[in-house]
Amino acid sequence: MGALVQIENLRKEFGNVRALDGVSFDVQAGEWIAIMGPSGSGKTTLINILGGLDTPTSGQALVDGVDVARLDEGGLARFRAEKIGFVFQQFHLVRYLTALENVMLAQYFHSTTSESEAREALTRVGLADRVTHLPGQLSGGEQQRVAVARALINSPKLILADEPTGNLDEANEKIVLKLLQELHDEGHTIIMVTHAPSIGELADRRIDLAHGRLAAEHVARRA
Amino acid sequence: MMFGRLLWKLLRSNRGRLAVALVAVISGSAVVSALLTVQLDISRKLTQEFRLLGPNIVISAKNSGQNMKLEGGHLALRPAEDQTNASGASLAAMAPFFYTVARVSGTPVIVSGTWLDQLPRLNPTWRIQGDWIADHDGNGHSLIGRKVAQQFGAVPGSDLELETGERHAVLRISGVIDSGTAEDNQIFADLPTAWRLANDPNAVTLIQLNVTGSSAAIGAYAGHLEASMPDFNVHPVRAVTDAEGNLLNRTRLLIVSMILLIMALTALCVLATMTALATERRADVGLMKALGGTITRIVGLFLAELGVLGAVGGVIGCFGGVALAEWIGRRVFGAAIAPRWEIFPLTIALMVVVAMAGALPLQALGKVKPAVILRGE
Repeated sequence: MGALVQIENLRKEFGNVRALDGVSFDVQAGEWIAIMGPSGSGKTTLINILGGLDTPTSGQALVDGVDVARLDEGGLARFRAEKIGFVFQQFHLVRYLTALENVMLAQYFHSTTSESEAREALTRVGLADRVTHLPGQLSGGEQQRVAVARALINSPKLILADEPTGNLDEANEKIVLKLLQELHDEGHTIIMVTHAPSIGELADRRIDLAHGRLAAEHVARRA
Repeated sequence: MMFGRLLWKLLRSNRGRLAVALVAVISGSAVVSALLTVQLDISRKLTQEFRLLGPNIVISAKNSGQNMKLEGGHLALRPAEDQTNASGASLAAMAPFFYTVARVSGTPVIVSGTWLDQLPRLNPTWRIQGDWIADHDGNGHSLIGRKVAQQFGAVPGSDLELETGERHAVLRISGVIDSGTAEDNQIFADLPTAWRLANDPNAVTLIQLNVTGSSAAIGAYAGHLEASMPDFNVHPVRAVTDAEGNLLNRTRLLIVSMILLIMALTALCVLATMTALATERRADVGLMKALGGTITRIVGLFLAELGVLGAVGGVIGCFGGVALAEWIGRRVFGAAIAPRWEIFPLTIALMVVVAMAGALPLQALGKVKPAVILRGE
């Protein structure tokens, strides 16, 4: 399989602060990448640029052949809807929508909604009996599983997970990681930011960032 | 489908804040629809009020000081009736008057010969002790002014003897009139009696008309009448018609000003609510953008929310406005104002426009950076 993501000499500056300083690497389709590094190393900035939530100061970030830096507001919105599935550390569910509606919200911004498909996605993450619950009525782990279902619903090219287990207890962490493993096994491309080395080892490849630069790259032994 | 679902959830999730805005829109709609109803009805109401002031058109001879001749009796006044169709005005009452002087117990008194049945319609504010007369000629009955009655000790049912030289007439008094004007010093007799006392058959000093309609319609009526009665002078009573026109214009200006003020205040209230909601919704907007929502689509949801707010508030307020207009009608004009259903769509549209003013703070949502929001900032 070819490279789904191609990053070349990517730079991002916030005023005088250089968050990314010439990062370059490729991600093959179907690969699971773990981005690691200390706080302030540029992990989240990198994920945001790849997800079209932010734009680089210079350099190139190609996702499925689309140069994210060249997209306008409308193009970025379309790109996010069609190519990216997000899983955030803080879950970020809409508090007044049920689990089902939160999943359907992603469908709504992508194209048309299908309640049955949204139910299937929730069933897949083990929440068949929680579809009508509001986020406030769900545990942290359940909320994150809703977020995973939402990320999957539009069959995105790339799943971006920013500390997906950062707010979960051990039991829920296992459930979410198992889900990510299943997605990877099915051929989904995943880029995941994490602090935990044990989680990073689940990925095919680990990229370490430090001060906005690529500090090291490790290929998992099992691969 | 999903749009409606999202809209419903948005409305439900913020019902506390939106209830405040809804109350403002309902109140605004009620007052605006009531004022619009009054505005549409004010012309008719004012016309009714001004008709109480008495005759508003007087017809007299071309040469002042001369009497007209009412040849052909009632038929001579047909133009006055015919012209109502052309002008949009309506003839409420009309009577010829012939004034002469007779003596009662040797004291000179003005005798006003007229169509006696027209007096209460020409002068709705006159009060009477006794009975009005139901036909033109009164069958020997007459009405007298309050001061004449006091002077000669006359009461309803008593007789009054009038004389002018060799001619005399005895009139049975049907009622005593209290006009509060110079007419309190007059005796109102039928025209043939007045002509006989003056020995001047068919003479008419002037003709009084009470015409209903807008001041413009009355002016047009007077113009048409003058053209069709070239031998007479037709005088609209300017003090009445002009005052009516001026008051109508000022009242309309006042009502329109109040409507604009109420709309501005309602918009401010909605604006304040939506400013607070826009701040609260930054996180939702950031997330929706991250999920691929364009700002047009996201703000479209909020605009629909405002549209529903304006429409629902407008409809409820319109019904409140019906009650309010009726109350205003009773308090100000002494009669209920009928609901004007045609103002419902206008009021609802105005309230939707007013509610849309609340969209101004939503402009700030366009600048929301999803990356910033998702970082929790």
